[in-house]
Amino acid sequence: MSQPMRRDFENRDDLITYLQEQFPASVAVSPHITDTKGGRQAAEQRLAEIDPEKYETSRNYLNGKVTLLSPYIRHGILSLAEVRDKAQRHSPVNKLVQELGWRDFFQRIYAEIKTAVWQDQEPYKTGFATDDYQDTLPEDIKQGQTGHSSIDSFIHELKTTGYLHNHARMWLAGYVVHWRRVKWQAGAHWFLQHLLDGDPASNNLSWQWVASTFSHKPYFFNRDNIERFSGQTCCDDASINGRCEFEGSYAQLEKQLFPHKPPQQQNQPRPKKRKRRKRWHQ
Amino acid sequence: MASIEKQIIWIHGDNLNPNSPAIQAAPSAPAVFVWDDAYLEKADISFKRILFIYESLLELPVTILRGQVDHEVANFAKAHNAQSILTTPSPSAGFTRYSQRLREQGFDIQIFEEDPFVIIPNTYHKRFSRYWKVAQKALVKDSAS
Repeated sequence: MSQPMRRDFENRDDLITYLQEQFPASVAVSPHITDTKGGRQAAEQRLAEIDPEKYETSRNYLNGKVTLLSPYIRHGILSLAEVRDKAQRHSPVNKLVQELGWRDFFQRIYAEIKTAVWQDQEPYKTGFATDDYQDTLPEDIKQGQTGHSSIDSFIHELKTTGYLHNHARMWLAGYVVHWRRVKWQAGAHWFLQHLLDGDPASNNLSWQWVASTFSHKPYFFNRDNIERFSGQTCCDDASINGRCEFEGSYAQLEKQLFPHKPPQQQNQPRPKKRKRRKRWHQ
Repeated sequence: MASIEKQIIWIHGDNLNPNSPAIQAAPSAPAVFVWDDAYLEKADISFKRILFIYESLLELPVTILRGQVDHEVANFAKAHNAQSILTTPSPSAGFTRYSQRLREQGFDIQIFEEDPFVIIPNTYHKRFSRYWKVAQKALVKDSAS
């Protein structure tokens, strides 16, 4: 049996110093320290603060009343069943319960497919083949220096806090896969390095959902969408060739991003009630 | 006089709950967590993730080791003269592999499940909409009972 690691620490700084010595490779990946505390006590405090009603109406906005429970659920510090019980206070099925359902759904798939969670579950429906996407994440994305102020702020948040709002994950994943044409696996690995809730099931299958290898169509967005839900200017300095790359209607961007996509796979205007839901599913 | 069967608890990263069903099954049994060196090298996780997990472990009555998971768990069990290893489920391939290796060494792996989110047949649904159609009916029914 190897030598047990330390458990006695005077304070958090003492713990951090010890772990920096013990896990230098993780410091080399990214040395940032998050304020999000691990452990059941912190988890219970956050669980007591959830508000399913406000969650339902505000969750798509970056400043919405999201639960921030995902790191605790991912590591089983809170069980899905106990969060469900809390979320069902006013109704047995609501948006928050449904989001928990997404995690349950992904866990069931992961249990079935195991390491194949790293493989395309279906072909891309973008008009491109897998080989058309590059294998590695470009350096400007890793460094958060893409030139898009909103995208760069999401990358900075990911690296420094280990958390990203659901909608920001979708925008960032959509940007990496569809604007930069990078394989979703490179993005998924990158998120798993940083997200405190990083889990191969929810993370990889959500990247595949954005990429269209686990959904009927690719997820993409436009400038209006980012600015409406983030409250940020998306391309303040912006620009590549004098214009924001995310500017335009969905029909225009679809033609631009997926020029080889067969016409029958092009998006059709949808009735409001069938509008695609906004979610990442932590 | 029959001897009391000795047990240990194997804690892993998919269940760091101090009230986990494995801990509740044997609250006084020695518990172990092993940092998986091979996984750490492959996954390249950043420092903040290590800190979060370690902080969570400090709220558990657990010995923290690092190395090859099945090897360390087996040695910990042997050091406590235990044949039974109590743990919680994980869908990961690593957990399946390490559990299998421990069984091959003669250990009795007992897996204690959390209360499920929803009780539905374990049918493979490729799309969430199909899963949800079944799941929400069960959730409504369960909450009414």
